Amino acid sequence: MEEQKTLDNLFAAARLRPVEPSEALMARVLADAFAEQTKAVAPPVLAAKGNWWLGGLASVFGGFGGLAGVGGAAVAGLVLGFVQPANVTYLADALLGPETSVTLIPSVDLLMGEE
Amino acid sequence: MASDTTDEVPDEDLLAAYARGETAATRALTLRLVPRVMGYASRLLGDRAEAEDVAQEAMLRLWRAAAKWRAGEAQVSTWLYRVVANLCTDRLRARQRRRTEALEAAPEVADRAAGGDAGLIEADRAAALEAALRELPDRQRQAVVLRHLEGLSNAEIAEVMEIGLEAVESLICRGKRTLVALLAGRRDDLGYEDDEG
Repeated sequence: MEEQKTLDNLFAAARLRPVEPSEALMARVLADAFAEQTKAVAPPVLAAKGNWWLGGLASVFGGFGGLAGVGGAAVAGLVLGFVQPANVTYLADALLGPETSVTLIPSVDLLMGEE
Repeated sequence: MASDTTDEVPDEDLLAAYARGETAATRALTLRLVPRVMGYASRLLGDRAEAEDVAQEAMLRLWRAAAKWRAGEAQVSTWLYRVVANLCTDRLRARQRRRTEALEAAPEVADRAAGGDAGLIEADRAAALEAALRELPDRQRQAVVLRHLEGLSNAEIAEVMEIGLEAVESLICRGKRTLVALLAGRRDDLGYEDDEG
């Protein structure tokens, strides 16, 4: 019984001597709290840090949606160019004729001749 | 949310305010919870520096959990006590092999108690209890500290430790029995010979 009483007295004494956190700890906890709070409340970043160039490129085309559209069109053009599906050839012949040549860049002479 | 009006606000509501970016809630939660977290960690570890590290880590996990906190799912304090216990268990396991302190290594309490300085006697009593607590198995120590030093009810301890009420009672009973055995014969050493109780 005496030992039990001793233990109860030790518990009571310990409750009267709470372990107080240091000011440094409180400051560290507050700093963590504000840092996490800022992260949570801050608006989301468009592009990840490692893909900054992709984010920049996307902004030129008005966002990632525009960039995806341009990329898709480029891929489609390459596929049509290499595969040359028969229907596309027939369509070109019907519209332009089988022997049509198109000059995409005027000759230098023509340009010089205007002087 | 002004700081002088937060005393009656439940932890959960303060945490929700923290997640909304209210700085007053941040300060109120810190002032309210860190002393409890620190006290519990300190009593489980018996090492102030380590307890501070654990307290900071536990609070950091709380801040990070704030945005996804589900109202009514768990009490903030219960959740925190659980996190602290887990962090302390990890640290105790890591240092178990190099733990050398024993109850017998407690400071020479008899001489100082005889000196009659009340502050020193109290410090010696605290040291003796700490040393005895360190001799307990982890789960017994957690239950005894939560019940007798943190003042939780057995039902709250059951929630923190995720066990049944009977298991809590058993842990506390066995823990106290061991503490009594460890402290047997030290009543005079600890300056209780002149006390009434």
